Amino acid sequence: MAERTPVLATRGISKWFGPVRALTNIDFEVYPGEVVALIGDNGAGKSTLINVITGVLPHEEGEITFEGKSVNLTPQEARRLGIETVYQDLAIAPHLDSVANIFLGREYRQPGILGKMGFLDSKQMRSDTLQQLSRLRVRIKNIDRRMTTLSGGQRQGVAVARSVRWASKVVIMDEPTAALGVAQSGMVLDLIKEVRNSGIPIIFISHNMPHVFEVADRIEVMRLGELVAHLDPKTNSIDDAVSAMTGSIRMPTGATIK
Amino acid sequence: MTSSTLPEQTAAVPAEEPVERSLPSWFYILIVLMIMIVFFSIWHGTKFADRTNFQNIALDASQLMLLAIGSTFVIITAGIDLSVSAMLVLSAIVGGKVMVHFSGSPEQVRKYEFPDQNTGIPLGLAAAILTGLCVGMINGGIITKLKLPPFITTLGTLGICLGLANILSKGSSVPYVPIDITREIGAREIGGVRLLVIISATVVIIAAIMLRFTRFGRYTFAIGSNATAARRVGINVDRHLIKVYALSGLLAGVAGAFDLARFGTANASTHSTDNLNAISAVVIGGTSLFGGMGSIIGTVIGAFIPATLRNGLVIGGINPFYQQVLVGGILLAAVYFDQRRRKAEERM
Amino acid sequence: MTLHADKQARAWCGQRTMIDEEKRAVELALYRITRRGLIKVGAGTAGLAVVGSRLSQSSAQESYKITLIQGVAGDEFYVSMGCGAQQAATETGSQLTIQGTEKWDATLQIPLLNSVVQSKPDAILIAPNDRTALIQPIQDALNAGIAVFTVDTLIEADIAIANIASDNVLGGKMAAQELAKLINETGSVYLQNTVPGASTTDQRQQGFEEEIKNYPNIKYIGVDFNNDDPTTAASQTAAKLQATPDLAGIFGTNLFSAEGAATAVKEANKTGQIKIVGFDAGPKQVQDLREGVVDLLIGQHPYDIGYKGVMMAVDYLKTKQAPTEKTIATGYTVVTKDNLDDPEVKKYLYVADCSEIPAGTPEASPTS
Repeated sequence: MAERTPVLATRGISKWFGPVRALTNIDFEVYPGEVVALIGDNGAGKSTLINVITGVLPHEEGEITFEGKSVNLTPQEARRLGIETVYQDLAIAPHLDSVANIFLGREYRQPGILGKMGFLDSKQMRSDTLQQLSRLRVRIKNIDRRMTTLSGGQRQGVAVARSVRWASKVVIMDEPTAALGVAQSGMVLDLIKEVRNSGIPIIFISHNMPHVFEVADRIEVMRLGELVAHLDPKTNSIDDAVSAMTGSIRMPTGATIK
Repeated sequence: MTSSTLPEQTAAVPAEEPVERSLPSWFYILIVLMIMIVFFSIWHGTKFADRTNFQNIALDASQLMLLAIGSTFVIITAGIDLSVSAMLVLSAIVGGKVMVHFSGSPEQVRKYEFPDQNTGIPLGLAAAILTGLCVGMINGGIITKLKLPPFITTLGTLGICLGLANILSKGSSVPYVPIDITREIGAREIGGVRLLVIISATVVIIAAIMLRFTRFGRYTFAIGSNATAARRVGINVDRHLIKVYALSGLLAGVAGAFDLARFGTANASTHSTDNLNAISAVVIGGTSLFGGMGSIIGTVIGAFIPATLRNGLVIGGINPFYQQVLVGGILLAAVYFDQRRRKAEERM
Repeated sequence: MTLHADKQARAWCGQRTMIDEEKRAVELALYRITRRGLIKVGAGTAGLAVVGSRLSQSSAQESYKITLIQGVAGDEFYVSMGCGAQQAATETGSQLTIQGTEKWDATLQIPLLNSVVQSKPDAILIAPNDRTALIQPIQDALNAGIAVFTVDTLIEADIAIANIASDNVLGGKMAAQELAKLINETGSVYLQNTVPGASTTDQRQQGFEEEIKNYPNIKYIGVDFNNDDPTTAASQTAAKLQATPDLAGIFGTNLFSAEGAATAVKEANKTGQIKIVGFDAGPKQVQDLREGVVDLLIGQHPYDIGYKGVMMAVDYLKTKQAPTEKTIATGYTVVTKDNLDDPEVKKYLYVADCSEIPAGTPEASPTS
């Protein structure tokens, strides 16, 4: 197997919330062009780990490396490095349209003096958005309509398109299909594959085993703050995953199940 | 500005779907205003439908317009500013006192002599505007740094400003304001249009452009729509909110300056319900109290409705109290129809 | 937008009904027409206005149109003034309109005045809410060719054709004299005033303060302003009652001032001990007078002010000659519990409705 530098990696990360140890000695990495699923029961520490590697929460022990180099992360720094997150609540502004949401906080301004006064270059942002959406095959009939007029799947599409637009390195998703129906989930899973195919890795948290097994290249299982298993969806089964999550099969920490 | 590293798509971008724009939120209320104008024109003829009268209406609506524009920005951020009427009177009183102080010595002004009024008047007007701006910034600071809800915060500053206004003016009108201010500024016309109307129209245009075409306007909508999302993408929500409340205060200060220019005095007991009238104008114009949506055009229409109604009823000799009843009714109807329209637009 | 495009859009969302789409097409078309047609509508309005003005023109210009702008609507003083004005209007065959705002607020009265000017009356009688702020608007009315008279309150400029009011300084003096009599010229007295800056009440205070100096055994402890709110007047008076054990008399310069002071005295159970002199004889105060809560009222003659005001206006409009007397002072009546039912006194009590006034002719000349 060729030596590859992980895009994002953690070594020995531990985190406490007061006296409670939320993460224990996590070694985790993600490589270009792969989809890694992070699964585990409620309270296993999945969201905490995600928040640590995006700089939202600090960690007490261990280090985070980005493309091999050690980094001290804040949310702004993570964004700057090209790490984007799609939250479970999507973090979109429902009264704004798709264009405004995709460019939220990173609007194009008009050139010259108008731009310095804050005038937006809506034309440029619109054409950029159209490109993005078509690239990811997200079908939105009218990008000038408010987000409230879009379906759940379409909104997810916009949220993902936003993170992909700005993520040059990693996209992280928290429960991307949780609130969606069958057809819409399908749209999102296709989206994940498109993004992976373009070379950008995705880390996603999910409770939905069929979805996980459909798109993931690797599955990392967490339990009680520890990474307890690495699974391969091609060779492992959903039962294996559930067992690892609930701890019904005893195994040394970090063992790979064949 | 990071660029995407996705490979260029060789397939062409599919043609855009036909544009399906929804009606602006102020469409129906504009119809209401136009019906009103036509009705009064037929009833009163040229007594209503003449240039002087329309200018009167615009002039009478000008101060409310300024307050309402500031409130539009605030309400779009899902906030509220109850202190605008108090900021107005406090600004007017501070401005008036500064004006009197710098227009001559105490003995001179008491005899209605104002040798230095060319210094005093501008200083006074500037002081009025500055007062509004400062109180607005304080509002913003309390709301963002102390994390108090806007309703309570501005209710508190309302009381404080009103109290200060009464203390400074000892409860009566500010005396000895140089009377020339009403002639030179209050009554001045440029090309047949009152200067004050020109100023408020300019403010309207600038505000409309700011709201629709600049980043400042975009962030105002974003914060009102989902402040958490705005924070997540790196928008400095606190700083923006301070600017928005400062803007509201600034415009209240300008409205206070208008008081001095039009009436040549300032009195703390005036404009007492204008904070609620401003909110009414904003909501009648189609802006949602829950934030995220709104327009300046709507506010302008919303501000003209009570002024036009009052004017038309008085010319007809009708008790202007009916105007209060009608405006209240229009407010309820406007909100009801807006809710219905919004529900129809949404998909589940 | 064509219906074809509608159907295509429907294919995407697949949920809306045909009816909705057609409705929206109509609405959007209307919107576009409206945008294009705004200019046309503006022209149309102007056209309608021309037609409308021809329709609304009255047949003959014989009777004069006079508008009375009250200081504040609903106040019995101004209602009585309106009754007198109406009587004079009826006698001279003029048309009277009465307008007033809900608060004593110059920023409300000025737009009202501007609108009244637009209705093109021949004369306006106005009780200005502010002595400076109303100067320019009244000047504008004069410039528009309307004869403007001030009633009751004044402005700081000598531009109105005439002013008809009570001599408020005299009224204040009378109040001081009557109060002194009631308290046997000994003790502390207190003044409840309304809004500082209103010429009438300022002058009453002035007259009172000047006259009370003539009584060596009476101590004047000062004045509070209640902003024309009886609740404020009551709480201020209550505080003074606590602080001044030898408080013997109170003068309330207007309706709300006396009413509030009387309430505080009643609640402190000092009715009868503390003498209250009120200004103005409104129904509530007359009731207080009957119940012994207030001891004496200095009643103005608002009916006369209204009557004389209209008479002077009609006179001026007929002869176009400025009146010889620019300030007309109307008189006072001292009202006590004892003389309340005296017909000479009764006809000067303020009413909430003109039907309550016993038929009586106003005085020919002022009395003091």
